[in-house]
Amino acid sequence: METASSRFAPVFAWMRRVSVLSVCCVLSTPADAAGTAVGTQIENTALVNYDVAGTPLSLQSNTTTITVAERINVTVTLQSAQVLVSPGDTAQALLFSITNTGNGSETFALSMDSVISGDNFDPVPAVPAIYFDTDGSGDFNAGDVAYTPGLNDPDLAADESVSVFIVNDIPAGVANGDTGLSELTATSATGSGAPGTVYANQGDGGVNAMLGSTGGTAAVTGEYLVSDVLVNVTKAQVVNDPFGGNEPVPGATLTYTITVSVASAGTATASTVQDAIPVLTTFVPDSILLNGAPISDATDGDAGEYDTTVVPTVVVRLGDLTQAMGPQSIEFQVTID
Amino acid sequence: MKILTSILLILAVAVAQAQAHLDVQTTVHKQEVVVNEQGESETRLVPADVVVPGESVFYTITFRNISDQPADNVVITNPIAEDLMYVEGSAFGPGMEIEFSVDGGQTFAPAGELNVVKDGEVRKATAADFTHVRWVMQHDLAAGAQGTARFAAVLE
Repeated sequence: METASSRFAPVFAWMRRVSVLSVCCVLSTPADAAGTAVGTQIENTALVNYDVAGTPLSLQSNTTTITVAERINVTVTLQSAQVLVSPGDTAQALLFSITNTGNGSETFALSMDSVISGDNFDPVPAVPAIYFDTDGSGDFNAGDVAYTPGLNDPDLAADESVSVFIVNDIPAGVANGDTGLSELTATSATGSGAPGTVYANQGDGGVNAMLGSTGGTAAVTGEYLVSDVLVNVTKAQVVNDPFGGNEPVPGATLTYTITVSVASAGTATASTVQDAIPVLTTFVPDSILLNGAPISDATDGDAGEYDTTVVPTVVVRLGDLTQAMGPQSIEFQVTID
Repeated sequence: MKILTSILLILAVAVAQAQAHLDVQTTVHKQEVVVNEQGESETRLVPADVVVPGESVFYTITFRNISDQPADNVVITNPIAEDLMYVEGSAFGPGMEIEFSVDGGQTFAPAGELNVVKDGEVRKATAADFTHVRWVMQHDLAAGAQGTARFAAVLE
Protein backbone atom coordinates (compact mmCIF):
# COMPACT_ATOMS: atom_id res chain seq x y z
CA MET A 1 0.00 0.00 0.00
CA GLU A 2 1.32 3.40 -0.92
CA THR A 3 0.12 6.70 0.45
CA ALA A 4 0.43 10.04 -1.25
CA SER A 5 -0.57 13.48 -0.19
CA SER A 6 -0.47 16.34 -2.61
CA ARG A 7 -1.03 20.09 -2.51
CA PHE A 8 -3.03 21.26 -5.47
CA ALA A 9 -3.21 24.93 -4.51
CA PRO A 10 -1.18 26.27 -7.44
CA VAL A 11 -3.66 24.65 -9.79
CA PHE A 12 -6.52 26.43 -8.05
CA ALA A 13 -4.69 29.73 -8.08
CA TRP A 14 -4.36 29.31 -11.83
CA MET A 15 -8.06 28.54 -12.10
CA ARG A 16 -8.80 31.75 -10.24
CA ARG A 17 -6.60 33.73 -12.59
CA VAL A 18 -8.66 32.48 -15.47
CA SER A 19 -11.74 34.02 -13.91
CA VAL A 20 -9.84 37.26 -13.31
CA LEU A 21 -9.04 37.35 -16.99
CA SER A 22 -12.69 37.53 -17.87
CA VAL A 23 -13.14 40.45 -15.45
CA CYS A 24 -10.31 42.41 -17.00
CA CYS A 25 -11.80 42.38 -20.45
CA VAL A 26 -14.72 44.55 -19.32
CA LEU A 27 -12.35 47.43 -18.55
CA SER A 28 -12.83 49.53 -21.61
CA THR A 29 -15.56 51.97 -20.52
CA PRO A 30 -14.70 54.14 -17.54
CA ALA A 31 -17.61 54.81 -15.23
CA ASP A 32 -16.81 58.45 -14.60
CA ALA A 33 -17.08 61.11 -17.24
CA ALA A 34 -14.16 63.46 -17.00
CA GLY A 35 -16.24 66.58 -17.55
CA THR A 36 -15.88 69.49 -19.90
CA ALA A 37 -12.48 69.49 -21.56
CA VAL A 38 -9.77 71.66 -20.10
CA GLY A 39 -9.35 74.95 -21.96
CA THR A 40 -12.97 75.07 -23.17
CA GLN A 41 -14.25 78.65 -23.24
CA ILE A 42 -17.88 79.16 -22.33
CA GLU A 43 -19.38 82.44 -23.45
CA ASN A 44 -22.62 83.95 -22.25
CA THR A 45 -24.63 86.80 -23.73
CA ALA A 46 -28.09 87.85 -22.58
CA LEU A 47 -30.68 89.22 -25.00
CA VAL A 48 -33.20 91.87 -24.00
CA ASN A 49 -36.38 92.54 -25.94
CA TYR A 50 -38.52 95.52 -25.04
CA ASP A 51 -40.92 98.05 -26.47
CA VAL A 52 -40.58 101.78 -26.34
CA ALA A 53 -43.63 103.78 -27.45
CA GLY A 54 -44.96 100.70 -29.21
CA THR A 55 -41.74 99.99 -31.12
CA PRO A 56 -40.16 96.59 -30.46
CA LEU A 57 -36.44 96.85 -29.82
CA SER A 58 -33.76 94.44 -28.79
CA LEU A 59 -30.31 94.63 -27.31
CA GLN A 60 -27.50 92.24 -26.42
CA SER A 61 -25.53 92.40 -23.22
CA ASN A 62 -21.77 92.20 -23.04
CA THR A 63 -20.36 88.68 -23.37
CA THR A 64 -18.78 86.96 -20.38
CA THR A 65 -16.27 84.20 -20.88
CA ILE A 66 -15.24 81.49 -18.46
CA THR A 67 -12.34 79.18 -19.15
CA VAL A 68 -12.49 75.58 -18.03
CA ALA A 69 -9.47 74.80 -15.85
CA GLU A 70 -7.97 71.37 -15.36
CA ARG A 71 -9.57 69.31 -12.66
CA ILE A 72 -7.17 66.67 -11.40
CA ASN A 73 -8.93 63.47 -10.40
CA VAL A 74 -7.93 59.84 -10.33
CA THR A 75 -9.58 56.60 -9.33
CA VAL A 76 -8.02 53.22 -8.70
CA THR A 77 -10.18 50.12 -8.85
CA LEU A 78 -9.27 46.55 -7.97
CA GLN A 79 -9.85 44.18 -10.86
CA SER A 80 -8.74 40.96 -9.17
CA ALA A 81 -11.03 38.86 -7.10
CA GLN A 82 -9.38 37.66 -3.89
CA VAL A 83 -6.22 35.91 -5.04
CA LEU A 84 -5.82 32.38 -3.66
CA VAL A 85 -2.26 31.52 -2.69
CA SER A 86 -0.20 28.85 -0.94
CA PRO A 87 2.53 29.36 1.66
CA GLY A 88 5.81 30.25 -0.06
CA ASP A 89 4.23 31.16 -3.40
CA THR A 90 6.21 33.72 -5.38
CA ALA A 91 5.14 36.46 -7.83
CA GLN A 92 1.46 36.55 -6.93
CA ALA A 93 -0.20 39.44 -8.75
CA LEU A 94 -3.14 41.68 -7.94
CA LEU A 95 -4.64 43.55 -10.92
CA PHE A 96 -5.77 47.17 -10.66
CA SER A 97 -7.08 49.76 -13.08
CA ILE A 98 -6.08 53.42 -12.78
CA THR A 99 -8.40 55.93 -14.49
CA ASN A 100 -7.78 59.62 -15.07
CA THR A 101 -11.21 61.00 -14.08
CA GLY A 102 -9.99 64.58 -14.50
CA ASN A 103 -10.66 66.63 -17.62
CA GLY A 104 -7.07 67.01 -18.84
CA SER A 105 -3.94 64.96 -19.40
CA GLU A 106 -2.14 64.02 -16.23
CA THR A 107 0.89 61.99 -15.21
CA PHE A 108 0.59 59.73 -12.19
CA ALA A 109 3.24 58.33 -9.88
CA LEU A 110 2.58 54.83 -8.56
CA SER A 111 3.51 53.27 -5.25
CA MET A 112 2.54 50.17 -3.33
CA ASP A 113 2.44 49.08 0.30
CA SER A 114 2.02 45.60 1.70
CA VAL A 115 2.23 46.54 5.38
CA ILE A 116 -1.47 47.18 5.94
CA SER A 117 -3.45 46.62 9.11
CA GLY A 118 -6.51 44.40 9.11
CA ASP A 119 -4.93 41.25 7.75
CA ASN A 120 -3.09 38.18 9.09
CA PHE A 121 0.21 38.50 7.28
CA ASP A 122 2.20 41.01 5.26
CA PRO A 123 2.85 39.93 1.68
CA VAL A 124 6.47 40.53 0.65
CA PRO A 125 6.74 42.89 -2.33
CA ALA A 126 8.62 41.44 -5.28
CA VAL A 127 11.46 43.52 -6.74
CA PRO A 128 10.20 45.36 -8.71
CA ALA A 129 6.70 45.16 -7.31
CA ILE A 130 4.66 47.16 -9.84
CA TYR A 131 4.13 46.12 -13.46
CA PHE A 132 1.97 47.31 -16.31
CA ASP A 133 -0.35 44.76 -17.87
CA THR A 134 1.57 45.45 -21.06
CA ASP A 135 -0.02 42.69 -23.12
CA GLY A 136 -3.49 43.49 -21.79
CA SER A 137 -4.05 39.87 -20.81
CA GLY A 138 -5.10 40.54 -17.23
CA ASP A 139 -2.64 37.82 -16.30
CA PHE A 140 0.78 38.65 -14.93
CA ASN A 141 3.42 37.21 -17.25
CA ALA A 142 6.85 37.66 -18.72
CA GLY A 143 5.79 40.25 -21.30
CA ASP A 144 4.63 42.75 -18.67
CA VAL A 145 6.91 45.77 -18.21
CA ALA A 146 8.00 46.81 -14.74
CA TYR A 147 7.15 50.29 -13.49
CA THR A 148 10.12 52.51 -12.68
CA PRO A 149 9.19 55.70 -10.79
CA GLY A 150 10.07 58.81 -12.78
CA LEU A 151 10.90 56.80 -15.86
CA ASN A 152 7.61 55.39 -17.14
CA ASP A 153 4.99 57.07 -14.96
CA PRO A 154 1.68 56.56 -16.78
CA ASP A 155 0.56 59.68 -18.65
CA LEU A 156 -3.20 59.42 -19.10
CA ALA A 157 -5.56 61.53 -21.19
CA ALA A 158 -8.92 62.46 -19.69
CA ASP A 159 -10.98 59.29 -19.12
CA GLU A 160 -8.05 57.05 -20.06
CA SER A 161 -7.23 53.96 -17.98
CA VAL A 162 -4.19 51.77 -17.49
CA SER A 163 -4.01 48.29 -15.96
CA VAL A 164 -1.33 47.67 -13.37
CA PHE A 165 -0.23 44.70 -11.30
CA ILE A 166 1.29 44.74 -7.86
CA VAL A 167 3.30 41.62 -7.24
CA ASN A 168 4.06 40.00 -3.89
CA ASP A 169 5.63 36.83 -2.53
CA ILE A 170 3.76 34.91 0.14
CA PRO A 171 5.70 34.08 3.34
CA ALA A 172 6.26 30.39 4.00
CA GLY A 173 4.84 30.45 7.51
CA VAL A 174 1.26 31.49 6.76
CA ALA A 175 -1.71 29.28 7.66
CA ASN A 176 -4.70 28.18 5.68
CA GLY A 177 -7.39 30.90 5.76
CA ASP A 178 -4.93 33.73 6.50
CA THR A 179 -5.37 36.94 4.54
CA GLY A 180 -2.76 39.47 3.42
CA LEU A 181 -3.48 42.95 2.07
CA SER A 182 -1.52 44.99 -0.44
CA GLU A 183 -2.30 48.49 -1.64
CA LEU A 184 -1.69 50.41 -4.87
CA THR A 185 -1.60 54.23 -4.81
CA ALA A 186 -1.68 56.57 -7.83
CA THR A 187 -0.80 60.22 -7.24
CA SER A 188 -0.93 63.13 -9.66
CA ALA A 189 2.49 64.45 -10.62
CA THR A 190 1.08 67.99 -10.45
CA GLY A 191 0.31 67.55 -6.79
CA SER A 192 -2.02 66.09 -4.21
CA GLY A 193 -3.69 67.39 -1.08
CA ALA A 194 -6.91 69.11 -0.11
CA PRO A 195 -9.60 69.11 -2.82
CA GLY A 196 -9.83 72.62 -4.24
CA THR A 197 -6.09 73.27 -4.06
CA VAL A 198 -5.13 75.37 -7.08
CA TYR A 199 -1.89 75.02 -9.05
CA ALA A 200 -1.56 78.25 -11.03
CA ASN A 201 -0.81 77.76 -14.74
CA GLN A 202 0.03 74.07 -14.27
CA GLY A 203 -2.96 72.68 -16.14
CA ASP A 204 -2.99 71.64 -19.78
CA GLY A 205 -2.13 74.60 -22.01
CA GLY A 206 -1.07 76.70 -19.03
CA VAL A 207 -4.50 77.14 -17.45
CA ASN A 208 -4.93 76.63 -13.73
CA ALA A 209 -5.20 73.12 -12.35
CA MET A 210 -7.34 72.31 -9.33
CA LEU A 211 -7.49 69.17 -7.24
CA GLY A 212 -10.89 67.49 -7.55
CA SER A 213 -12.76 65.43 -4.99
CA THR A 214 -10.07 62.77 -4.75
CA GLY A 215 -7.36 65.29 -3.86
CA GLY A 216 -5.16 64.12 -6.72
CA THR A 217 -4.49 60.69 -5.26
CA ALA A 218 -6.31 57.38 -4.91
CA ALA A 219 -5.44 54.07 -3.29
CA VAL A 220 -7.11 50.68 -3.29
CA THR A 221 -6.28 47.49 -1.44
CA GLY A 222 -6.32 43.97 -2.81
CA GLU A 223 -6.29 40.75 -0.82
CA TYR A 224 -4.51 37.41 -0.86
CA LEU A 225 -6.14 34.40 0.81
CA VAL A 226 -4.11 31.39 1.80
CA SER A 227 -6.19 28.56 0.44
CA ASP A 228 -3.98 25.59 0.69
CA VAL A 229 -6.34 22.74 0.11
CA LEU A 230 -4.86 19.50 1.40
CA VAL A 231 -5.89 16.50 -0.66
CA ASN A 232 -5.05 12.98 0.49
CA VAL A 233 -4.78 10.24 -2.10
CA THR A 234 -4.32 6.60 -1.07
CA LYS A 235 -3.99 3.63 -3.35
CA ALA A 236 -4.54 0.04 -2.31
CA GLN A 237 -4.31 -3.20 -4.30
CA VAL A 238 -5.75 -6.67 -3.86
CA VAL A 239 -4.30 -9.67 -5.75
CA ASN A 240 -6.43 -12.64 -6.74
CA ASP A 241 -4.56 -15.44 -8.50
CA PRO A 242 -6.23 -18.00 -10.78
CA PHE A 243 -5.84 -20.62 -8.10
CA GLY A 244 -7.96 -18.94 -5.41
CA GLY A 245 -4.94 -17.47 -3.69
CA ASN A 246 -3.34 -14.00 -3.51
CA GLU A 247 -0.06 -14.58 -5.34
CA PRO A 248 1.02 -12.05 -8.02
CA VAL A 249 1.56 -14.60 -10.74
CA PRO A 250 0.81 -14.28 -14.47
CA GLY A 251 -2.95 -14.38 -14.96
CA ALA A 252 -3.62 -12.96 -11.49
CA THR A 253 -6.07 -10.01 -11.27
CA LEU A 254 -5.04 -6.83 -9.46
CA THR A 255 -7.86 -4.68 -8.11
CA TYR A 256 -6.71 -1.13 -7.38
CA THR A 257 -8.68 1.18 -5.11
CA ILE A 258 -7.73 4.87 -5.11
CA THR A 259 -9.30 6.96 -2.37
CA VAL A 260 -9.27 10.75 -2.67
CA SER A 261 -10.31 12.99 0.22
CA VAL A 262 -9.97 16.68 1.09
CA ALA A 263 -8.32 17.03 4.49
CA SER A 264 -8.62 20.79 5.00
CA ALA A 265 -10.90 23.75 4.44
CA GLY A 266 -11.35 24.91 0.87
CA THR A 267 -12.37 23.39 -2.41
CA ALA A 268 -10.19 21.26 -4.64
CA THR A 269 -11.46 22.58 -7.96
CA ALA A 270 -11.84 20.31 -10.99
CA SER A 271 -9.96 17.43 -9.37
CA THR A 272 -8.87 14.69 -11.74
CA VAL A 273 -7.20 11.38 -10.97
CA GLN A 274 -4.92 9.93 -13.64
CA ASP A 275 -3.30 6.60 -12.98
CA ALA A 276 -1.14 4.85 -15.58
CA ILE A 277 -1.57 1.11 -15.42
CA PRO A 278 1.60 -0.79 -14.42
CA VAL A 279 3.86 -2.21 -17.12
CA LEU A 280 3.44 -5.90 -17.82
CA THR A 281 -0.22 -5.72 -16.93
CA THR A 282 -3.36 -5.49 -19.06
CA PHE A 283 -6.35 -3.35 -18.23
CA VAL A 284 -9.55 -5.29 -17.57
CA PRO A 285 -12.21 -3.74 -19.85
CA ASP A 286 -15.19 -2.11 -18.17
CA SER A 287 -13.63 -2.42 -14.73
CA ILE A 288 -13.63 1.26 -13.71
CA LEU A 289 -15.94 2.09 -10.81
CA LEU A 290 -16.47 5.47 -9.16
CA ASN A 291 -17.96 5.07 -5.70
CA GLY A 292 -19.21 1.66 -6.84
CA ALA A 293 -20.86 2.89 -10.06
CA PRO A 294 -19.39 1.82 -13.41
CA ILE A 295 -17.72 4.29 -15.76
CA SER A 296 -17.33 3.31 -19.40
CA ASP A 297 -13.90 2.91 -20.98
CA ALA A 298 -14.79 5.21 -23.86
CA THR A 299 -14.00 8.92 -23.89
CA ASP A 300 -17.58 10.11 -23.77
CA GLY A 301 -19.82 12.22 -21.57
CA ASP A 302 -19.24 10.40 -18.31
CA ALA A 303 -16.75 11.11 -15.52
CA GLY A 304 -13.87 9.04 -16.88
CA GLU A 305 -12.22 6.79 -19.45
CA TYR A 306 -9.45 4.35 -20.18
CA ASP A 307 -7.13 6.52 -22.25
CA THR A 308 -4.52 4.78 -24.40
CA THR A 309 -3.42 7.78 -26.48
CA VAL A 310 -0.02 8.11 -24.79
CA VAL A 311 0.41 5.54 -22.08
CA PRO A 312 -2.52 3.38 -21.01
CA THR A 313 -4.09 5.42 -18.21
CA VAL A 314 -7.24 5.38 -16.15
CA VAL A 315 -8.72 8.89 -15.94
CA VAL A 316 -11.52 9.86 -13.54
CA ARG A 317 -12.78 13.38 -13.07
CA LEU A 318 -14.01 14.04 -9.56
CA GLY A 319 -15.05 17.68 -10.01
CA ASP A 320 -14.98 20.11 -7.10
CA LEU A 321 -14.20 18.35 -3.85
CA THR A 322 -14.62 19.53 -0.27
CA GLN A 323 -13.95 17.91 3.06
CA ALA A 324 -17.71 17.62 3.66
CA MET A 325 -18.09 15.35 0.61
CA GLY A 326 -16.05 12.60 2.24
CA PRO A 327 -13.68 10.16 0.53
CA GLN A 328 -14.16 9.37 -3.18
CA SER A 329 -13.39 5.82 -4.20
CA ILE A 330 -12.08 4.82 -7.64
CA GLU A 331 -11.59 1.18 -8.52
CA PHE A 332 -10.20 -0.63 -11.58
CA GLN A 333 -8.64 -3.92 -12.43
CA VAL A 334 -5.65 -5.19 -14.42
CA THR A 335 -4.32 -8.67 -15.05
CA ILE A 336 -0.66 -9.64 -14.84
CA ASP A 337 0.68 -10.59 -18.28
CA MET B 1 -15.55 94.25 -4.39
CA LYS B 2 -17.79 97.27 -4.05
CA ILE B 3 -15.20 99.47 -5.70
CA LEU B 4 -14.87 96.98 -8.54
CA THR B 5 -18.63 96.86 -9.06
CA SER B 6 -18.77 100.65 -9.17
CA ILE B 7 -16.03 100.75 -11.76
CA LEU B 8 -17.87 98.20 -13.85
CA LEU B 9 -21.05 100.24 -13.72
CA ILE B 10 -19.24 103.41 -14.73
CA LEU B 11 -17.63 101.57 -17.63
CA ALA B 12 -20.99 100.15 -18.60
CA VAL B 13 -22.55 103.57 -18.80
CA ALA B 14 -19.59 104.87 -20.78
CA VAL B 15 -19.81 102.21 -23.51
CA ALA B 16 -23.61 102.17 -23.85
CA GLN B 17 -24.77 103.04 -27.31
CA ALA B 18 -26.15 106.50 -27.69
CA GLN B 19 -29.38 105.26 -29.32
CA ALA B 20 -30.06 102.48 -26.85
CA HIS B 21 -32.80 102.90 -24.32
CA LEU B 22 -31.55 100.16 -22.02
CA ASP B 23 -28.16 99.26 -20.72
CA VAL B 24 -27.59 95.54 -20.10
CA GLN B 25 -24.61 94.03 -18.33
CA THR B 26 -23.82 90.42 -17.53
CA THR B 27 -21.36 89.22 -14.93
CA VAL B 28 -20.38 85.71 -13.89
CA HIS B 29 -19.14 84.71 -10.45
CA LYS B 30 -18.32 81.57 -8.54
CA GLN B 31 -18.20 80.74 -4.87
CA GLU B 32 -14.93 80.62 -3.05
CA VAL B 33 -14.58 79.30 0.47
CA VAL B 34 -12.06 81.25 2.51
CA VAL B 35 -10.97 80.92 6.11
CA ASN B 36 -11.34 84.27 7.90
CA GLU B 37 -9.20 85.69 10.69
CA GLN B 38 -11.37 83.91 13.28
CA GLY B 39 -10.54 80.62 11.59
CA GLU B 40 -14.10 80.20 10.31
CA SER B 41 -14.90 79.17 6.76
CA GLU B 42 -16.92 81.69 4.84
CA THR B 43 -18.20 81.70 1.30
CA ARG B 44 -17.78 84.68 -0.96
CA LEU B 45 -18.43 85.32 -4.62
CA VAL B 46 -15.44 85.99 -6.84
CA PRO B 47 -15.32 86.60 -10.61
CA ALA B 48 -15.45 83.25 -12.40
CA ASP B 49 -12.68 83.56 -14.93
CA VAL B 50 -11.56 79.97 -14.52
CA VAL B 51 -13.72 77.08 -13.31
CA VAL B 52 -13.38 73.32 -13.09
CA PRO B 53 -16.03 70.69 -13.84
CA GLY B 54 -18.46 70.38 -10.95
CA GLU B 55 -18.16 74.03 -9.92
CA SER B 56 -21.20 76.30 -9.95
CA VAL B 57 -21.23 79.65 -11.70
CA PHE B 58 -23.66 82.48 -10.97
CA TYR B 59 -24.79 84.73 -13.81
CA THR B 60 -26.18 88.16 -13.00
CA ILE B 61 -27.86 90.28 -15.67
CA THR B 62 -28.34 93.91 -14.69
CA PHE B 63 -30.48 96.16 -16.88
CA ARG B 64 -31.29 99.85 -16.60
CA ASN B 65 -33.54 102.16 -18.54
CA ILE B 66 -31.18 104.95 -19.58
CA SER B 67 -33.76 106.73 -21.71
CA ASP B 68 -36.40 109.22 -20.66
CA GLN B 69 -39.27 106.98 -21.76
CA PRO B 70 -40.68 103.90 -20.04
CA ALA B 71 -39.89 100.50 -21.62
CA ASP B 72 -42.58 97.86 -21.58
CA ASN B 73 -42.76 94.16 -22.47
CA VAL B 74 -39.20 93.73 -21.19
CA VAL B 75 -38.06 90.15 -21.72
CA ILE B 76 -34.54 88.94 -20.97
CA THR B 77 -33.44 85.71 -22.59
CA ASN B 78 -30.27 83.87 -21.66
CA PRO B 79 -29.05 80.65 -23.26
CA ILE B 80 -27.66 77.93 -21.01
CA ALA B 81 -24.37 76.88 -22.59
CA GLU B 82 -24.02 73.26 -23.66
CA ASP B 83 -21.39 72.50 -21.02
CA LEU B 84 -23.47 74.05 -18.27
CA MET B 85 -26.42 72.55 -16.40
CA TYR B 86 -29.02 74.86 -14.90
CA VAL B 87 -29.26 74.63 -11.11
CA GLU B 88 -32.87 73.85 -10.30
CA GLY B 89 -34.68 76.74 -8.60
CA SER B 90 -31.77 79.14 -9.01
CA ALA B 91 -33.36 81.63 -11.44
CA PHE B 92 -34.42 84.82 -9.69
CA GLY B 93 -35.78 88.18 -10.76
CA PRO B 94 -37.93 90.60 -8.76
CA GLY B 95 -41.18 91.43 -10.55
CA MET B 96 -40.50 88.95 -13.34
CA GLU B 97 -42.03 85.67 -14.37
CA ILE B 98 -39.41 83.01 -15.06
CA GLU B 99 -39.79 80.59 -17.93
CA PHE B 100 -37.62 77.97 -19.58
CA SER B 101 -37.12 76.41 -22.96
CA VAL B 102 -36.21 72.82 -23.78
CA ASP B 103 -36.16 73.34 -27.57
CA GLY B 104 -33.34 75.79 -28.11
CA GLY B 105 -35.39 78.89 -27.32
CA GLN B 106 -38.32 78.35 -29.71
CA THR B 107 -40.95 77.92 -27.01
CA PHE B 108 -41.01 78.84 -23.32
CA ALA B 109 -43.09 77.77 -20.31
CA PRO B 110 -42.78 77.69 -16.50
CA ALA B 111 -40.45 74.97 -15.22
CA GLY B 112 -43.19 72.51 -14.16
CA GLU B 113 -45.07 72.66 -17.47
CA LEU B 114 -42.35 71.48 -19.84
CA ASN B 115 -42.11 68.01 -21.29
CA VAL B 116 -39.47 66.34 -23.40
CA VAL B 117 -39.85 63.40 -25.75
CA LYS B 118 -37.11 60.85 -25.62
CA ASP B 119 -37.17 57.46 -27.36
CA GLY B 120 -40.83 58.01 -28.13
CA GLU B 121 -41.74 58.54 -24.46
CA VAL B 122 -42.93 61.83 -23.02
CA ARG B 123 -41.53 62.79 -19.63
CA LYS B 124 -41.37 65.89 -17.48
CA ALA B 125 -38.42 68.11 -18.30
CA THR B 126 -35.73 68.44 -15.66
CA ALA B 127 -33.16 71.15 -15.09
CA ALA B 128 -30.73 69.21 -17.28
CA ASP B 129 -33.07 69.63 -20.27
CA PHE B 130 -33.25 73.42 -20.13
CA THR B 131 -31.60 75.23 -23.03
CA HIS B 132 -32.69 78.79 -22.20
CA VAL B 133 -34.04 80.74 -19.28
CA ARG B 134 -36.03 83.94 -19.67
CA TRP B 135 -37.44 86.57 -17.41
CA VAL B 136 -40.69 88.28 -18.44
CA MET B 137 -41.12 91.58 -16.66
CA GLN B 138 -44.63 92.00 -15.27
CA HIS B 139 -44.63 95.81 -15.36
CA ASP B 140 -43.02 98.70 -17.23
CA LEU B 141 -39.43 99.64 -16.61
CA ALA B 142 -39.70 103.33 -15.82
CA ALA B 143 -37.12 105.81 -17.08
CA GLY B 144 -34.02 105.52 -14.89
CA ALA B 145 -35.25 102.33 -13.19
CA GLN B 146 -33.16 99.18 -13.09
CA GLY B 147 -33.67 95.47 -12.51
CA THR B 148 -31.69 92.30 -11.93
CA ALA B 149 -32.01 88.73 -13.16
CA ARG B 150 -29.90 85.83 -11.90
CA PHE B 151 -29.38 82.12 -12.36
CA ALA B 152 -26.82 79.51 -11.46
CA ALA B 153 -25.40 76.63 -13.47
CA VAL B 154 -22.95 73.78 -12.86
CA LEU B 155 -20.05 73.14 -15.20
CA GLU B 156 -20.40 69.59 -16.49
